[in-house]
Amino acid sequence: MSSPGPRVLIVDDETGIRRFLRVSLEAHGYSVNEASTGEEALQIVPAFRPDLILLDLGLPGVGGKHVTSCLLEWTQTPIIILSVEADESEKIAALDAGADDYLTKPFGSGELLARIRATMRRVAQPDSGPVFVTGELSVDLAGRAVRLGEKDVQLTPTEYSLLKAFVIHANKLLTHRQLLCEVWGGAHYEDPQHLLRVNINNLRRKLEADPTRPRYIITEPGVGYRLRTEARASAAL
Amino acid sequence: MPDEAGSVAVPNVVTHATLTRPRRLDPSPSWKNRLWRTGDASPNNRWRGAAVSLAITGLITILGFWIEPFIRAPNLAILYMLGVVFVAVRWGRWPVIVNAVSSALLFDYFFIPPVRSFVIGDVWYSITLIGLLAVGLIVNTLIGAARDEALLAQRRAEHVSALYSFMQSVASGNGLDRIMGGVARHFMEMFQRPIVVLLPGEEGLSVGFASAEMMFDEAESRIASWVFENGQEAGYGTEMFSGSGICYRPLKTGSGIVGVIGFQGKSSQGLLPPDQLDLLSIFLDQTALAITRADLARKAKRAEALQETDRLQKALLNSVSHNLRSPLSSVLGVLSTILEDGSLLDAFTQQSLLRTAQKEARQLDWLIQNLLDMTRLESGAIRVRADLCDMHDVVAAALRQLGEPAGCSRILANIPPGLPLVPMDGILMVQVLVNLLDNALKYSGGDAPVEIQVRLDTGQLEIRVLDRGRGIPEGELERVFDRFYRVAVPGAPRGTGLGLSICRGFVEAHNGRILAMRRAQGGTEVALFLPLEART
Repeated sequence: MSSPGPRVLIVDDETGIRRFLRVSLEAHGYSVNEASTGEEALQIVPAFRPDLILLDLGLPGVGGKHVTSCLLEWTQTPIIILSVEADESEKIAALDAGADDYLTKPFGSGELLARIRATMRRVAQPDSGPVFVTGELSVDLAGRAVRLGEKDVQLTPTEYSLLKAFVIHANKLLTHRQLLCEVWGGAHYEDPQHLLRVNINNLRRKLEADPTRPRYIITEPGVGYRLRTEARASAAL
Repeated sequence: MPDEAGSVAVPNVVTHATLTRPRRLDPSPSWKNRLWRTGDASPNNRWRGAAVSLAITGLITILGFWIEPFIRAPNLAILYMLGVVFVAVRWGRWPVIVNAVSSALLFDYFFIPPVRSFVIGDVWYSITLIGLLAVGLIVNTLIGAARDEALLAQRRAEHVSALYSFMQSVASGNGLDRIMGGVARHFMEMFQRPIVVLLPGEEGLSVGFASAEMMFDEAESRIASWVFENGQEAGYGTEMFSGSGICYRPLKTGSGIVGVIGFQGKSSQGLLPPDQLDLLSIFLDQTALAITRADLARKAKRAEALQETDRLQKALLNSVSHNLRSPLSSVLGVLSTILEDGSLLDAFTQQSLLRTAQKEARQLDWLIQNLLDMTRLESGAIRVRADLCDMHDVVAAALRQLGEPAGCSRILANIPPGLPLVPMDGILMVQVLVNLLDNALKYSGGDAPVEIQVRLDTGQLEIRVLDRGRGIPEGELERVFDRFYRVAVPGAPRGTGLGLSICRGFVEAHNGRILAMRRAQGGTEVALFLPLEART
């Protein structure tokens, strides 16, 4: 625990998983603590002050979703949800409640580390400066200008708000509900999902060279979307 | 007793009890076209018969005057006899009496000396009168009996044919609903009354069929339940619940009561006439048998389904034990080798062993996913949540799930740029595509391209996955979608035979179709057709 690396709290009731996570994370220089229940996690967090929490959704007792909302009430610590496929609706609820990302079990350590890095990177640089750049895409939030390579891209106000939401939360998985909230506010539409999909579709058409192999806006089926930034910045960690 | 007549052969439908008063019994318009219309004893007919009798007697008398010079007068009695016989054949008893009396009077008056006078106690008069009356009445009775017999035979034939067509209809009907429809239709034809049929269900007796005209309420339902429990008739015209307008009969078979039938008792024609009671009891027995048969058929079907489930379970167990154990064995083998003999192996060998284990473990995960999907499909837990989806998005998600190293670069997606959003369950459809693409990649080695074509047709979306693999043999193009079915090819990649059947399950859950075809230049084409209208 005295190691200087970023602190990660693992919350999972299965010893095998905790052990695997601890070994892989410590090998990469993280400082790790473990909790096997939600209650224990809530007790450990104030003292340990983790930089990131890996939270299993299938905890006995207080469910993962509840832990998520409790934690987010008094800490900004990013949370990555670990789930099995059957937890689909729990997972979305936890993401809606503010969890940053999710990983479906079983997963490899490579995938885990990549997610942790992306999340930490996002948290480490909340203000990416006036001009956001990834790959060919550059978004000037101050000047409301979007460019793809050398070309200006013309976006409708809604498409722009959508892209802005993605840029502000670059790399974060944004659920359908979060996007709707962010872009359309509290207004109620007849078929909000449809509205969202049409605009994502339009935005993709303007930004992606091959929509079946999108470079920027990635779909998480049934959950939401994320803006993927290209690996340039990942050298930081 | 109607219930005992059940097993009696059809020709015995009408018993001899009906002989005594056949004319009054027939309320049925369909039986109006009689062979013999002469037996009618209505007052109208009687008067007409009497008038005709008198006319005949008159004509015979005139004829008698004409031929009297040629024959001896007493022989004229034969002429009058002919008249009586004619009347006896054509008309009823009263006209015969009128004819006999008038014939005797006229014969005596005109032809028996002293001519043109009545001599009381004249022996000729008495003999003629008695003779004519006797002949007329005997002939009339005999004819009447023959007529009744014929009428009876005809009605019997009609009953038989009505029953026959009824039995045919219930025997050919499969499914309780169709049988009930047939029962109601034939009951209407044979008895001109609407019916209600009640069948036992999980929550007691419930209406299986009711004619539109039938008024059936809570109180009636209680009577029907009583009939079902007691196996006795009740309702209109019986001792129990006689206040009801409906007459209830239990539907009995050898093994018990299978239902209750109720028919309108009160009607313009009054109660069911006695000669139809036997017909009714046969009708009820046949209905009961038909219901039992339908029930048995349903049970047989269920047993068959259970057997199928049993077969699938065996296949599943087989699949689990084989397909799950083999990757697991590799993983365990690698792990124990490294644990126990790790020191004997160089780093490179250890790495390569571990990679194998990782690959096998991934395979295991994939198999479990398939088995889970199959179980969800089997248990009907798949619910299609149709959203408007962007096909680019769906294909992108499938490609990402397959992972680039799997040879994704070989996959060419051909999606029209202007394709509108289409209604489907994105998650399920991604899985379908992953399965199809995985197959296509697996079975077409090398760099052979795999193609996805999406096309909007009238009312449906077409998605095609095309490969240049070895193709599916002609006779197995349909069977590949069966659970656990695998094309027998030596050295084929490992699989469960579940992927395609899961695809079919998911596509059919969308009300769509999926089919596999052989491509002209080799390879397989799997085509999906999804309806575009929103599902209900």
